[in-house]
Amino acid sequence: MNGKIEVEHLSKTFKKGDVQAVKDVSFTVEDGEFFAFLGPNGAGKSTTVQILTTLINATGGKATVAGHDVIREPEKVRRYIGVALQETGVDPDLTGRELIELQANIFGFSKTEAKKRAEELLKIVQLTDSAERRIGNYSGGMRRRLDLALTLVNEPKILFLDEPTTGLDPSNRMAIWKELRRLNEENGTTIFLTTQYLEEADSLAHRISIINDGEIVATGTPRELKAQIGNDLIALTFSSKEEEEKAERILKEHMDPSDVILQNGKLTVYVEDGTKQLLELVRLLDQENIEVATVNLSSPTLDDIFLKITSEQAEKEGEVHGE
Amino acid sequence: MGNSVWKDTWLITLRSIKTTLRNPFSFIPNLMISAFFLLVYEGGLSGISQLPMFEGANYLAFILPVSIVSAAIGGAGGAGQGIVKDIENGFFSRLLLTPASRLAIVLGPIIAGMLQLFIQTLLIIGIAFLLGLEVETGFGGILFVLLIAIGWGLAFAGYSAGVALRTKNAQAAQAGTFIFFPLIFLSTTFVPYELIEAQWLKVAATINPTTYIFESMRTVLIDGWIFWDLMQGVIAIVIACTITITFAAVSAKKAVSRG
Ligand SMILES: Nc1ncnc2c1ncn2[C@@H]1O[C@H](COP(=O)(O)OP(=O)(O)OP(=O)(O)O)[C@@H](O)[C@H]1O
Ligand SMILES: [Mg+2]
Repeated sequence: MNGKIEVEHLSKTFKKGDVQAVKDVSFTVEDGEFFAFLGPNGAGKSTTVQILTTLINATGGKATVAGHDVIREPEKVRRYIGVALQETGVDPDLTGRELIELQANIFGFSKTEAKKRAEELLKIVQLTDSAERRIGNYSGGMRRRLDLALTLVNEPKILFLDEPTTGLDPSNRMAIWKELRRLNEENGTTIFLTTQYLEEADSLAHRISIINDGEIVATGTPRELKAQIGNDLIALTFSSKEEEEKAERILKEHMDPSDVILQNGKLTVYVEDGTKQLLELVRLLDQENIEVATVNLSSPTLDDIFLKITSEQAEKEGEVHGE
Repeated sequence: MGNSVWKDTWLITLRSIKTTLRNPFSFIPNLMISAFFLLVYEGGLSGISQLPMFEGANYLAFILPVSIVSAAIGGAGGAGQGIVKDIENGFFSRLLLTPASRLAIVLGPIIAGMLQLFIQTLLIIGIAFLLGLEVETGFGGILFVLLIAIGWGLAFAGYSAGVALRTKNAQAAQAGTFIFFPLIFLSTTFVPYELIEAQWLKVAATINPTTYIFESMRTVLIDGWIFWDLMQGVIAIVIACTITITFAAVSAKKAVSRG
């Protein structure tokens, strides 16, 4: 048994609403790798997690988790994985300790083993002090941490975490990040994490796949992806449409045209070094008598990456169809 | 690593019992309504048992089955409510992600609901004895009444679990329970069949299986071991259980499948 995830041409169409949530997705996560699935709302992240964790069936393709086919051998897959779904699944009437012990008992631990495991896990997620309280009274952050503890009960070879830090405050987020890093580095646990936060994927994952509208649009190490995107982003607005278009034309002449995107009255420019290039840009436009209304320098967000990647795709398709 | 179906069922049932006990409001109102039938109708209506059609029967023994059926329905309804709660708060999915037996995941709350029903019925019978109940067939008769209550409760538990697993929605499951309560009243609830005047109520009482449950309980409580009078309750239960448990099983299969 290994901690590998292999996905080939996976698809899922929901009959209800005829939604194609996952479209021909393929990727491999190596044993011991920390892999992030980065994508916006509705991208298909949770659907993929649910297929890989045996909760729902794919409508096409094939997936192997820990060496077992998720469709043909779901019982075997369930033994080796730990799963924290996007919505935490806890019984609010039990205490934290009772729930962890129950989970351990279900995985075949004896009573004493289960008690011991609960004690260890409560300590790891820093819930020892609240262990005797009912989960219904836990805060969102505490529930998330308990959820993480529950996923670790069976010492899984592979962890699936669907947006484990969404909605958490920075200190809870840091606590979870720290624990995930430890699990991956010390225990060699393979981790499949989904997130909407670029910085989260960036700081945790060895490799990232960006998923948008059910399709993987880019895959690489954080460094590779960023190099593709540019480190900084300059957003410019102008007081007239003519100036906008003129500025776009001029900037496209002076740099890689795919780094210049005009959308909704905003001209976005991806650059290597924002502070240096900002001045050059403004000077260049000034020489052409174009008046800049506002300027904004920032780091790219997930939205910006999508904008860039999807516009590149559109351009490529345009070339293909145009010639 | 891994448990037998029995071990899983045991673990999940224990946990359902625990959560029921921690939510006293999930069973106290129903228990009070059931006790209310006994206390109020025994106090307020017992005079009518002087009528000749009652053939000298004691009204307490006549009204007791109503109270028991109401308690049984409430207790068994706990099965469906337990399942809906698990589905709504995501705990059901968490269990599905473990190697736990799929059967145990569904059976746990149902067994806990049946246990709740058993204890509520015992309590109601206890109250009836405190009020001065006398049973024609003695201890054996009480056992028979308990069996009928459990059987009828099982039929209802199957129904409520089926609705819960199908709709996955607390309001729908609750509404499903309310359909059963009118059945208690469209029957020989307060007076024997011969005393019902409205024709429509006579028809309703004839097609309502609850009538046969009441009648078989009353037979052992009041008249004695009269075989065919007892069997009508047993037959009603067998038919109802066959239908509702099939419904529950089909719904359960769908709920744990990965469609
Ligand atoms: N059970 C379902 N039935 C029908 N459509 C569904 C179902 N689950 C998800 N979808 C649809 O599939 C698409 C992908 O949803 P999914 O939950 O996988 O996205 P996500 O990337 O997890 O988004 P989020 O960041 O909001 O959690 C969406 O369009 C969603 O509406
Ligand atoms: Mg999601």
